[in-house]
Amino acid sequence: MSINDWLQERFDIEAVKSFAAKKQVPVFFGSVWYYLGGVSLFLFIIQVLTGILLALYYQPGAATSYESVKFIVSKVEFGWLMREIHSWSANLFVFTIFLHMFTVFFSKAYKKPRELTWLSGMMLLLLAMVFGFSGYLLPWNELAYFATKVGTDITGAVPFIGEFLSKLLRAGDDVSGATLTRFYSIHTAILPLVFIVFLGLHLTMIQVQGMHIPESMEKVPENKRKMMPFFPNFVLRDLIVWLIVLNIIALLAVFFPWELGLKADSLASAPAGIRPEWYFMFMFQTLKLLPAHILFIEGEVFGILLFGLGGAIWFLVPFLEKPKYSRLWTAFGVGILAYIITLTVWGYLV
Amino acid sequence: MMHFNFIRPLLLVLLISFFIPRLSAQEPAEIIPPTDACYECHIDMDLDQDEVNQLFTHYLNDIHFQRGLLCSDCHGGDPEAFDEEDDAMWENDTYLGEISPNGEIAMCGKCHSDPAFMRKYSVSVSTDQESQYWTSKHGQSLKEGNLKVATCTDCHGVHGILAVDNPNSSVYDSNVPKTCSMCHSSESYMKGILETTSQYDDYVKSVHGKALLEREEISAPACNDCHGNHGAAPPEVSSINEICGSCHAQNRDLFQKSHLASVFKKEGLPQCESCHGNHYIVKPSDDFLNWESASGAVCLKCHEDGGKAKLLADQLFHVIDSLKINLDSAKVLIEKAEIKGMEISDLYFELEDAHNALIHSRTSVHSFDSTFVRSTAQPGFVASNNAKIGAKKALEEFEFRRFGLFVASFIITLLVILLYLKVKVFEKMKEKEKKNEKI
Repeated sequence: MSINDWLQERFDIEAVKSFAAKKQVPVFFGSVWYYLGGVSLFLFIIQVLTGILLALYYQPGAATSYESVKFIVSKVEFGWLMREIHSWSANLFVFTIFLHMFTVFFSKAYKKPRELTWLSGMMLLLLAMVFGFSGYLLPWNELAYFATKVGTDITGAVPFIGEFLSKLLRAGDDVSGATLTRFYSIHTAILPLVFIVFLGLHLTMIQVQGMHIPESMEKVPENKRKMMPFFPNFVLRDLIVWLIVLNIIALLAVFFPWELGLKADSLASAPAGIRPEWYFMFMFQTLKLLPAHILFIEGEVFGILLFGLGGAIWFLVPFLEKPKYSRLWTAFGVGILAYIITLTVWGYLV
Repeated sequence: MMHFNFIRPLLLVLLISFFIPRLSAQEPAEIIPPTDACYECHIDMDLDQDEVNQLFTHYLNDIHFQRGLLCSDCHGGDPEAFDEEDDAMWENDTYLGEISPNGEIAMCGKCHSDPAFMRKYSVSVSTDQESQYWTSKHGQSLKEGNLKVATCTDCHGVHGILAVDNPNSSVYDSNVPKTCSMCHSSESYMKGILETTSQYDDYVKSVHGKALLEREEISAPACNDCHGNHGAAPPEVSSINEICGSCHAQNRDLFQKSHLASVFKKEGLPQCESCHGNHYIVKPSDDFLNWESASGAVCLKCHEDGGKAKLLADQLFHVIDSLKINLDSAKVLIEKAEIKGMEISDLYFELEDAHNALIHSRTSVHSFDSTFVRSTAQPGFVASNNAKIGAKKALEEFEFRRFGLFVASFIITLLVILLYLKVKVFEKMKEKEKKNEKI
């Protein structure tokens, strides 16, 4: 008796198999974008695995964080590799989610009936950014300390609830050891839990609704559409892409390692070139460029309100878009993408 | 004959109140005398408004005025005699009139030499300025009747005298060289008194001058730190080591114990100065011991023929230079490992130890004992060797990582190719199955 038969006798795995096999992936010039979701998932798995290994040695606390990271990268066998992979895949993780989001946006894959898939995806992007923000502080080095200080300062400027939010994040009036332990628990307990819930929802909805068919293919009769079974054809291809991504991460880890820098010192003056992670750069640069006052409100508050409004519109695109304005929405997306790229590049050049 | 005028005191009060914010927070407004005959008459003289303002600006900033002293406290006279100039000055026994240099010393010394009086202002203030002055070269010359000497006001100023710790004071640490140079750099003024007037220019170029005047390190010595201030005099040959030793104590002690100390004493040579110079003291370099350097070793000043002195200098130079080379090569290796992204921060502690040993061994040169210098440098050799070993290990580790990456990449690429082939075979098989089903 094969394992398959043994399992079939106990569970109806054929039903699961047919459920998995029912999903078809359209084959066309844009099929390559369909790998982005899988790559993001793969990077998340890497994050979880390397994160668990790092947690074996990492000791949160103002007096221990920096030292334990130093210990990991210099004394623990392959500890350096774990940290490098964790850091690099974290950045690639956010990058692929961003890319995935824009490809979904421009291919209009968020439209009915996939509105909730878009919302859950947006939540996952938001959570990935919070993952990045909270993880950035954990080595407790100078750059992370001051970047977190600036980041939480900006949070403090949110109208009405800013002060409360800032205190909630910092676990006090300023960034301290208490902030570090708070960020650690957010990064390793709260966020993974919430993320997995949304990820589960996201994947289930995709599986139930199937892959989005591009508009150009919708006109072609169903039996004439060029499709590929998701399982095992697309999954095997996914695996190839995952392996290539793993190779890239290994290359980055060896040749472009992340510096640990100096230990955070709250009494030291902020070093030059304090900047947030690259995915916050466009917002940071915008806030830097805004004048002190716009009309009757502070420039920073104006910027935060603007981003809040922009984010809300972006979030609710599936519900706001009307078919006759479809092109206008595409232009809006191009504008947003151009804005993000320009401001990010500007932030690094200036 | 002077007439009492009601408007003037009122204007005076207004004028003084304009300057009140300039006073320090601790000094309340009551220290400003609103009715003082000296002010009354002297601003009534032929001064224009700008001159009056300038006089008051100076005067109000003066430390004496801020501490509640009046003109009459220095010059004598009656500050209450508003109506009669004679009563205020000429017929008043306390009025000093024109003050001579000797009189000036006594005038300032009246308070500054009185511990009981000065204690009112500060318990730690010294009261030996006057007695010190008379022992100084300036005071001695004045005693001999030479009036071209510095007295209190030449250095401290006249009516706008500021506290010594006020950065605008002419005797504030970093202003002292300029103040001394007002006389000592003037060839015409110093003619017949001192042959050389290059002290200030030399000092400015020196290691001390650069520290004090360029980097504003007020702990660096100015003229008064070596020559004394109120008792300023050129140091004796025998006391030079003590003067330099007040900061460079270890160097002094090592030299005192060296075999050269007795030779210098016997020959009447000034310690420190013989090798390092006086006003133009440059930052010491290892080449001071290097016979082959462009300028030659400083030892050449006395030991032109070389001999034993050259042998010793060569030994000392060799130890220090070897440690320096060792340290530099460790630094290069560490930088190399750091550029490759290796975590080597612990090695910087070794580098620091080696660097400290290098500094100690440079200081130990003043013992002129090659064995002692070698033993001082030894921990530096150990530390720099440790740093080198650590850096080499880090570089080897990097090579291992590169090799590991190559192996991993090879395996992953192989897997990618195999998977790709598998997909192709699998898809072809499926297609065949489909075709067969259709047939």
